[in-house]
Amino acid sequence: MTQAADQNLQRLILEVGMGNDLYGEDYTKAALRAVQDALHHSSLILFRSLELDSSLMQVRVTIGVERPQSVDCAAVAASLPRGQAVVTAVKGGMNVVDTENQTVSVVATAAIEAFYPMDLVPWSVVKAEP
Amino acid sequence: MALKKRVALELGQGTSLRSGDYTRAAERAVKDALWHNSLNMAQAFGAPKDAMIVDVEIAVQEPDAVDCDAVAQIFPYGTISVSARHGGLDIPKPGGSGSTLVALAAVVVSFMVEEASA
Repeated sequence: MTQAADQNLQRLILEVGMGNDLYGEDYTKAALRAVQDALHHSSLILFRSLELDSSLMQVRVTIGVERPQSVDCAAVAASLPRGQAVVTAVKGGMNVVDTENQTVSVVATAAIEAFYPMDLVPWSVVKAEP
Repeated sequence: MALKKRVALELGQGTSLRSGDYTRAAERAVKDALWHNSLNMAQAFGAPKDAMIVDVEIAVQEPDAVDCDAVAQIFPYGTISVSARHGGLDIPKPGGSGSTLVALAAVVVSFMVEEASA
């Protein structure tokens, strides 16, 4: 991706989320909601506290849905607030079929991984004081 | 000089639907916060997991009813401190038999760091 790969690129966090489109069968909408759910259960405060450069963050998003070819991965990538994002969709997720009412609810799961070149972090962790 | 720096915030919500147990709602909120994410920061920094300092804030309508020590037991490692304050939400059940409780949890993870020598 960039030269960051040989700068001790390490994963900081994996965030998971779930999103659905209950009646519209819109796989991209379900994926976007899953991404929002994943993102908003946590905050990578270290970018502020340690004054890191979020443009160096690499973000890998994997969407699981039953019809991965129906996910607009570019739209999902555009919804991410920071970093260099790569989005892929794979077969997974869950479609819940209601045969009584002829409806399909599309459930998407999102996994968001954030990586940072740790050699560019000017801090080291020391032992916590008791 | 070592400084305490925040590296991550995790947020969660938990409920006690029927039993009116603020501690149980708080524990569920903390688990919701923790189990949405997998933090790899200690490893990324090449530090032991025990270097993590975890400050937990619980918000419920009756903070004195939260057993903070029980909440702290959820965490497998790190230096843990738990406090409870007023917040969250109680919704009265229909029929006047108590309330459904909602607890919020904020889990702040910090490290002691020092500037790497240039």
